[in-house]
Amino acid sequence: MAKQEWRLLLTGDMSAFDNMALDEAVLRCVAAGASPSTLRFYGWEPSAVSIGYFQGIEQEVDLDVCREQGVDVIRRLTGGGAVFHEHGSEITYSLAVKDDYPGIPKKVLDSYALLCAGLVAGFRRLGLDAEFKPINDILVNGKKISGNAQTRRFGGILQHGTLLCDVNPHLMFSLLKVPSEKIRDKLIAGVEERVTSIRREMGTVDNAAVIQAMCAGFAEVLDIRLSPGTVSDEELALAERVKEERYANPTWNFKR
Amino acid sequence: MPTQPGTSNADIRCGDYKAVGGKLLRVRMTVSAGSRPVIQALRITGDFFMHPEEAIEDLEQLLTGAPLDEAALRARVQTFFDGEVQVVGADVDDFVAVLLKAA
Repeated sequence: MAKQEWRLLLTGDMSAFDNMALDEAVLRCVAAGASPSTLRFYGWEPSAVSIGYFQGIEQEVDLDVCREQGVDVIRRLTGGGAVFHEHGSEITYSLAVKDDYPGIPKKVLDSYALLCAGLVAGFRRLGLDAEFKPINDILVNGKKISGNAQTRRFGGILQHGTLLCDVNPHLMFSLLKVPSEKIRDKLIAGVEERVTSIRREMGTVDNAAVIQAMCAGFAEVLDIRLSPGTVSDEELALAERVKEERYANPTWNFKR
Repeated sequence: MPTQPGTSNADIRCGDYKAVGGKLLRVRMTVSAGSRPVIQALRITGDFFMHPEEAIEDLEQLLTGAPLDEAALRARVQTFFDGEVQVVGADVDDFVAVLLKAA
């Protein structure tokens, strides 16, 4: 059987609002059959905190500090926890397929293992000892290097996640609400102990090489061929619409 | 602090609970006064996953009006889990536990 051909999108650094809007627009177009299955890589400018769909924005985020630091705050379409996306310190990927895509388990929990296997294969191509850790993490040398989140809606599956290039827990926990200063120190120490980064593991970060390795990893695990493509006019228009309706809209961001 | 009419006897309660897998569940609820208190309103937040996501509102709706005892809460949470929803990172026991913690 011929390999499925997927589109590869490299959209560079954008704002949190544009990034999350484009993830949703691509998901909707892929689900509707208007766009091919897609793997996208992107970055964040300015830095941003994203919170999970079910999180309380004021419970999780110190909005005053974020404003002072010029850090955007956004609610994701996906569940999971708060993530600090530092400009230049993270490569983010998103993957969109129809929900009846052959071979993808109907059970969300099972499908993380399959989709994350592409990333694990990618990290291994970089020479790193990577493994999937359920529910939705990837570890290198026993420490977390990637967190992932999935949603299923509009007839499609969207999984997006982080590939950590540098880790900055001090800045991260200054942006997030913590019960006390003592606990803040503990949380920072915990991240230093349990989280790693591509720089820490490899001594350097070559974004293009990381993306290339991940593409090869997904191609291998999903038995696909990736062809560089562009965002369609339909996706761009849809992204503008959902940005206004949702991601740049306080009603959405403050709904919990 | 001024008292809002109709809520003077209600009381706001909060609780956090960490599920076995590490996900955090948080509940904030308004509970009626009296010998058999019921949940008047509640909001469940946290870093778990639920598919479809909007189902969280059904769960909150189901729990509104529930008396604050374990059997009643468990029955309602179980009803929710018996539906089409997929919850990842927390189970029936975890949701019951966070509700009891807040109660």
